[in-house]
Amino acid sequence: MGDEFLDRFLNDYYAESEEHLATIRRALLSLEGGVGQARPDAAVTEELFRSFHSIKGIAAMVEHREAEALAHEMESYLRAIRDGQVRVTTVGIEGLITGTRRLELAVSAHRSGQPQPDTTEAVSSLRALSTNDEAGAGTGASAVAAPWRCVFTPSPALLARGINVDLVRSRLREHGEILRAQPLIGDAGAISFEFFVTAAPEADVRDEWAADGIVFDTVDAADALPPVAAPVPADTSVLSSGHYVRVDLAKLDDLMRMIGDLVIMRARLVDGLAAVEAHVPASVWRPLQETTSGIERHLRDLREGVMRVRLVPVGEIFRRMPFVVRDLARDSGRRVKVEMRGQETQIDKFLVERMMDPALHLVRNAMAHGLEPVDERIAAGKPPEGTIWLTASAAGEVATIEISDDGRGINADRVVSRARALGLTVPALIDDGALLDLICSPGFSTREESDRASGRGFGMAVVRRTVQELGGLLRLSTEPGRGVKFTVELPLTLAITDALLARIGAQQFAVPQAAVREVVELEEGAIRRLEDGEVVPYRGMALPVVRLSRLLGIESAGGRRPHAFIVGQGAAAVGLIVDRIVGQREIVVRSTVDPLIRVAGVAGATDLGDGRVVLILDAGAIARAVRQRAASAARTATA
Amino acid sequence: MQQILVVDDSPTIRRMVRASLARFFPTVEFLEAASGLQAIERLALGSIGLILLDLNMPDMHGLEVLQFVRSHEKYRNVPIAVLTTRGDEESRAAALKAGASAYLTKPFSPDVLGREVRKLFAGGDELTASA
Repeated sequence: MGDEFLDRFLNDYYAESEEHLATIRRALLSLEGGVGQARPDAAVTEELFRSFHSIKGIAAMVEHREAEALAHEMESYLRAIRDGQVRVTTVGIEGLITGTRRLELAVSAHRSGQPQPDTTEAVSSLRALSTNDEAGAGTGASAVAAPWRCVFTPSPALLARGINVDLVRSRLREHGEILRAQPLIGDAGAISFEFFVTAAPEADVRDEWAADGIVFDTVDAADALPPVAAPVPADTSVLSSGHYVRVDLAKLDDLMRMIGDLVIMRARLVDGLAAVEAHVPASVWRPLQETTSGIERHLRDLREGVMRVRLVPVGEIFRRMPFVVRDLARDSGRRVKVEMRGQETQIDKFLVERMMDPALHLVRNAMAHGLEPVDERIAAGKPPEGTIWLTASAAGEVATIEISDDGRGINADRVVSRARALGLTVPALIDDGALLDLICSPGFSTREESDRASGRGFGMAVVRRTVQELGGLLRLSTEPGRGVKFTVELPLTLAITDALLARIGAQQFAVPQAAVREVVELEEGAIRRLEDGEVVPYRGMALPVVRLSRLLGIESAGGRRPHAFIVGQGAAAVGLIVDRIVGQREIVVRSTVDPLIRVAGVAGATDLGDGRVVLILDAGAIARAVRQRAASAARTATA
Repeated sequence: MQQILVVDDSPTIRRMVRASLARFFPTVEFLEAASGLQAIERLALGSIGLILLDLNMPDMHGLEVLQFVRSHEKYRNVPIAVLTTRGDEESRAAALKAGASAYLTKPFSPDVLGREVRKLFAGGDELTASA
């Protein structure tokens, strides 16, 4: 086939096979639970069979021979399992997992124009699996009662109203399982569809559906399900592909940017209205103002709508991890289980893609440096099997991903001596924050040679930089002998956020509202000096405060009652003093990724709508810097 | 206007088949179906002159679709080209027995597909004229 012709479809091929591979990874994990059974979960086997079959078909069409061969062998093995010719074995699942890995490699090599990986060995060992003539046990056919029969008769009029067989199928699926679906020929050749389902909706709903050409009746127990000659594939495609469109993420980015421009235009309109308020009668001005509030509401809805489209479950990141861990554990003689929580937490697709490598690195690190071999764990009185936890949650405007293990923890002494050897500046106080700074220093690695598990040119420095570029925060907590926990906090929204506008002297700044816990008004007289810093009384404790004017080198306008943002929780709370807080508004974040412009404490810039560009302060980062300085000052004072 | 129905659960393959044929049949309208049931619905509600049919689909096997269409007196003469993947060779005999008009194994070139489909449309009027 002409290369030019094929090239037009390669991106479709990669995207579609990636979707199937994601399904396969999920299904393989649940298949593992069925080891030793004559007939594992039929739906899972069928799903795997179908996915490999689909990949085989597209790979053949785009003439990607290696992928086609691998998918073909795995499909054959699954067919043998499905038809009860072979039993599911651990070796078989290993074979599928290895084969899937090879398939992923083959597809990604094809995509990046690299040479194809060697697939001959994987293909021949897979072939051996499906030709295994061990007798399958049991017929496994489970008789399920189908109390309801449903007949749908399509018509052009119904089709015009959007009612088609796919819609009927998905409606039925909301109420019960579809055991069988088949077309029927009625009087004068009229075509209708017959479904056997386990449950039907309530009578009043059934009456409504009758108007849509959907009719129910009950089925006699005797002829509950007509015997089926060929195995009927379980209907596992939960969502019919006909209702979905695949959208290039760049197009959604464009949409978001356009909404951002609208937000700025609206801000300009609001300013314009405020300027003419004094010159127009209230009866004219009020409706105008109501209209702009209406626009604001709709803009928010629109923005949230686009954001929701971009959301995908964080489980996409987690799903690969059990495979990675499994491989590394086998190679290194460790026993490790992976526990996942909150996989359904939804975050922006862009964040998922960018977080994939950092998360992989953290998991590999846990395997290479954290979790001990079995004998070492037993000697330490720990369970022989180590655990890696992957947890995700979302609250407010922040998504949190935690990757932790119950291994030996980070050895601070080793980190410090390694840092000194590299000539890095080592702070006097080594707490978790300082440890994180050291291990995230470029070029830092406690292993002289990077092994398979970590290394790969993707160090902690890159992990932290990626998280920061996403506007997020990386934290570490470790306890010797107990384990390590990395916490990544990411803003759910990248582009548009609510912010407080503050003034220092003649300058305005924006502070994202999500970072601010509270805004307080201070009495200038209440600010007291304490050692190197300043504190104010706050809820019965001394709250460290910092004047942003001093930190940023801007002359303050003075004033007796400055405002402060309270950032951070409990003992980590810090107050950031500004002259005044002048308002609150929705801002469009333009991140400053240019390394020449990038300054610690500045998260980006925004356009207020009147052409003024205002810097967005990273309140969290500033507060951390202040806390660290306070901590090391305290250490020096007591030393 | 005559319609060609492309039945395959892979959107990529549906696109490739359409793109291969569009050159040969510029005046034909293409319809797509991602499942067997959908294919039969399209057939019942449209004016389909030819079906390109995949065998392995999630809800209804292509052979069942084929048998159904052949058992229907109104549609039994609609030509059906079965497009399938390596490994389904044993189904070739079954498909031909069930009444497939042609049987092609993926991959096939746009030219081969176009030629085969044109044979099936040989009796068609405007199609031969425009092809």
